[in-house]
Amino acid sequence: MSIKRTTTLKAFQATLRRDLLIAYKRKNEVVNPFMFFLIVATLFPIGISPEPDRLSEIAAGVLWISTLLASLLAMDSLYRADYEDGSLEQLLLAPHSLYFMVLAKNLAHWLISGLPVVLVSPLIGYMLSLPAESFGTLFVTLLLGTPVLSLLGSIGVALTVGLGSRGLILAVITLPMSVPVLIAGTMAVQQTLNGASLAGYLAIMGAMLLASISLAPLASAAALRISVN
Amino acid sequence: MWLWFSKLGSPKWFYELSGKWLPWLIGPMALLLIVGIIWALLFVPPDYQQGNTIRIMYIHVPFASISLAFFPLMALAGTITLVWRMKLADIVAKTAAPLGAWFTALALASGSIWGSDIWGTWWIWDGRLTSMLLQFFLLIGVISLRSALEDAEAAAKACAVLSIVGCINVIVIKYSVDWWNTLHQPSSPFSLSNEAPNPPEVWIPLVIMIFAVYLFFAVSLILSMRNEILVRERRSEWVQQLVQAT
Repeated sequence: MSIKRTTTLKAFQATLRRDLLIAYKRKNEVVNPFMFFLIVATLFPIGISPEPDRLSEIAAGVLWISTLLASLLAMDSLYRADYEDGSLEQLLLAPHSLYFMVLAKNLAHWLISGLPVVLVSPLIGYMLSLPAESFGTLFVTLLLGTPVLSLLGSIGVALTVGLGSRGLILAVITLPMSVPVLIAGTMAVQQTLNGASLAGYLAIMGAMLLASISLAPLASAAALRISVN
Repeated sequence: MWLWFSKLGSPKWFYELSGKWLPWLIGPMALLLIVGIIWALLFVPPDYQQGNTIRIMYIHVPFASISLAFFPLMALAGTITLVWRMKLADIVAKTAAPLGAWFTALALASGSIWGSDIWGTWWIWDGRLTSMLLQFFLLIGVISLRSALEDAEAAAKACAVLSIVGCINVIVIKYSVDWWNTLHQPSSPFSLSNEAPNPPEVWIPLVIMIFAVYLFFAVSLILSMRNEILVRERRSEWVQQLVQAT
């Protein structure tokens, strides 16, 4: 009997496909964070003021904070089920670099929970009277920023996956780390409204994305090895 | 060299050695604290703009400057824990986190009292204040992760990873927040000349206070490390002999 060897690329694809398939079968976990995002964004006009003038000032921040909270809520499902049914252990035992496996899981997770939020953001922006000229900026910054949120959140989830109740601890660990993304994202939108150039902000967000793609999965992988043992 | 290195990792050896060091640290600390505080409170001339409020600086600046050292220290200790599994490094990491939270909180509180007089407000969302506050939250995160994980070895490694990630993050937060909004005055240069913005009679007591607070930090760290060593080694023979002897 010969042993079949798979390449890292194949393993990456298999992990990605598996996670997407699981999400497709358990639609709840996909829909809930998304609905949470919509509801949180709806609470701000009710809690602060329904006046368009006031709303347009805070709209970018509201969208970013709602995205951040929704991504935090969605993070929970990233390694949880796999940890419970033991498939996470198999992933750690697999002869492939854990870095790419983690990256595949993060990518799948972002496609399921991050991308829908990004896609619907112009609509919510419109409802919050965000000035029309900044829709494009908001969209692009969310597109660059949400993967960073997922990648950073993944470290927190990996560290706490073995804990029984870890909702709050995850928030305490993850939220302060997301501040730079939040700052860059909201400032970029502000910058568009002032009519200034965006290049610097987009470059910084791109740098954050590249840095977190290359470094965060390493930390997540190390954290998973600690938590599972 | 390796013998020295493995010795350094032994809690018992550290406990004995630090017992000998402590008087040599506590003595200068007390001396510097007394000299520094009396000098700063009674003999420094009032500032021409800030009056007597300037004396808060002698507490605030030392605490703020040492607060910045905690994440690098914890990240270093965490790296040593992960790479060499040195017991002592984890003891440093574990005891440094609550101390760091206290020092950061004191830096924030003293700064806030100073600001209430100079800026006319207790809190503003200024770059330095915000990054200190976020550092405080990150330290609380490390502490709560440590207390949530029951297995001591897993907790040590998990906190090591979080400290390293946190250390990188604190730097990114610092720059991004500064760039976001800054009102806080930049650090002023020290100079011996009398025409400089800070004449020697203002900064010499500040330097004394900075050394005093650094020694205070060293003493607090060593004391809580000794405590932690006794707790961890409570089943070992030497600790039980120590307890019976007292």
